[in-house]
Amino acid sequence: MSLREPAWRVSARELESSLEEERGAGDRATSYLLSPFGARMSRVVVAGSLSPAESIGREEANTFWRARLADPTGAVAVTAGSFQPRAMAQLRQGRESRPALVVGKVHLYRGRDGVAYVSVRAEAVRSVSENEERALWSDMVRQTLDRLDLVERVEKSPSTSEESLRVEGVPSAWIRAAHESLRRYPAVDRPAFRRELAAVVRAIAGETGPRPSTSTSVSVTVRPAAPPKPPAPAPSAAERAEESVFLDLLDEIAEVSVDGYADLKEVVSRLEAQGVVADRAELLLNRLEESGVVEEPIVGKLRRA
Amino acid sequence: MSGSSSVSAPPETRLRELRVGTSPVEIVARVVSFERREVTRRSDGGRRPLASGFLSDGTASVRFTWWDPPREGLERGAVVRAVGAEVREFRDRPELVFTWKTHVEPASPVELPRVSESELPLKPLKELAARDDGFRLRVRVVRVQAKPVTVGAERRVVHEGLFADRSGTMAFSSWSDFGLTAGEALQVSGGYLREFRGRAQLVLDERSTVTRIEEPDLPEAAAISHSGPRAIARVEDEGGGDAVAVEGIVVGLLPPSGLVYRCPTCRRSVKSGICRVHGQVEGQADLRARLVLDDGTGALTVNAGRAETERLWGVSLAEAKSRLREQPDPSLLEEQLLESVLGRRLRVRGQGTKDDFGVTIQPESIEPVEVDLDAAATELSARFGEGG
Repeated sequence: MSLREPAWRVSARELESSLEEERGAGDRATSYLLSPFGARMSRVVVAGSLSPAESIGREEANTFWRARLADPTGAVAVTAGSFQPRAMAQLRQGRESRPALVVGKVHLYRGRDGVAYVSVRAEAVRSVSENEERALWSDMVRQTLDRLDLVERVEKSPSTSEESLRVEGVPSAWIRAAHESLRRYPAVDRPAFRRELAAVVRAIAGETGPRPSTSTSVSVTVRPAAPPKPPAPAPSAAERAEESVFLDLLDEIAEVSVDGYADLKEVVSRLEAQGVVADRAELLLNRLEESGVVEEPIVGKLRRA
Repeated sequence: MSGSSSVSAPPETRLRELRVGTSPVEIVARVVSFERREVTRRSDGGRRPLASGFLSDGTASVRFTWWDPPREGLERGAVVRAVGAEVREFRDRPELVFTWKTHVEPASPVELPRVSESELPLKPLKELAARDDGFRLRVRVVRVQAKPVTVGAERRVVHEGLFADRSGTMAFSSWSDFGLTAGEALQVSGGYLREFRGRAQLVLDERSTVTRIEEPDLPEAAAISHSGPRAIARVEDEGGGDAVAVEGIVVGLLPPSGLVYRCPTCRRSVKSGICRVHGQVEGQADLRARLVLDDGTGALTVNAGRAETERLWGVSLAEAKSRLREQPDPSLLEEQLLESVLGRRLRVRGQGTKDDFGVTIQPESIEPVEVDLDAAATELSARFGEGG
């Protein structure tokens, strides 16, 4: 289906807790980030306090900016590159933290150590008033509670037919997401997560409590995702040279391939021919993926992001 | 029809009564559609002309296939009598086949079978599908509006509006003036369905019958036109609707939005000074916004016209034009428009149609929504239960 992906209303905590991904198969297929709390998301809307952005770009022509968005449950990295010029301009605007709304695509990066980092690649960013922020949170809490209720229901009576849920008005995407959450995160403490949302409700009510920029509680039994990595040190000239060899090869292979993608194996084997060992190639790929230059929408198939 | 009807039944078979195995039959019907094509014979590769379409006699509409049709073909709306037609089955429904043995001749509308209203099956609106015919409805008029149109050289008035019953709603357009007013309950027969912008629409004309009825069981017009918003996922599932109400926030703008130029004759948008139909024209400036509205369950496009765009943006067309003179970059205007609508919470009503890109609403109203934060906090706290 080419229908536009809806923007799931999620909290930073839910994004931090999402460690599983469903990679789409086929040309230009969508990948989904699966949360333990009933979301199967490609696009999200998040609201919270947005920190000033810092540049993590390495070259003038390919700048990349990263900021952190904190809500009462946690914080998530928000990025924008030169491919989203408006979002990037918006992200760079703030000199200090401000309430903001971010619409964007979620992105899961799993480092070599297996730790997953979730970030939101911004499509649109806007500063909002505190009341707008609270209104956005009220949507987020309501829909998150609805999703948690649904997951619980599906868990208690797995035989509940999709049809009967749909008659009640439950979107079919939510039903699918609920099943995926149960399958992928069988041991998550959902009640603990639910309790954390109460802090958001207090914020909606206008009770000004401390607004932690990162939550330190470890009440969710999944491994809490590590905070987004600090900006990588600037690459050396040798690393830059390797990156450009990688990208040249990718372009060359993609140009003659039938589907427009560069086959990862082919890239690696040709890099080896040029004296770059496979481990090194993977490291390069990770770095390029992370900085948003290259993406792997299909396993083993690369393209320029 | 005169006097002897009790002695000899008319020779024609009503389309509703067509059954496979009753061939050959004689029928009188109106031509709903007529289309010509050619098929290639497998034996020698020769081409054989073929026509197909739909015929209706007020009791049903059936597909027909005509091998080697005459050059002049059939005119839409004409009434014909066919003698010696075959009845076959096509996709589980009876279909008429005209062969060299079939005689097709023009007939008069008075020869069409008389169908008394009570014979027609009463159908809920939800069950009506494109090309349906031969049904009776009991509906409430939700709204109706007269609209002058030009058909060829002729100027006519078409009455457009929305019917509702307990099963759903259906847009209608009537070529006869039945004096309809919003709120009244009607029994309607002699209408048929056609497809308009991908949605089924009920058409009434001089053959249709409209009677006022007492029907307390029908939904009130106000309940339909002021019904609360529905989940966008639901609207997507249903393929839009004639009276869609949704609420969400604006998460993006689709091109073309902002300042656009339109052909002075047909209002189509003009690209590089060229109208698709009228060639080189002096484009007239206009404002529009194609808003992407998202409620967390789904997303759809809202096509806001000039007045709504001005209201949402707070910038008039004149102001937009003068800004463009100062900074001759239309994309800046689009950016400013996005900046002012992004994240705005809107309730939108209108007609929703669906295509490959999803649902698009032609709005009748766009209203900003204020969230009552205290009420929201109270409602949400209650969901945490004790100890929450």
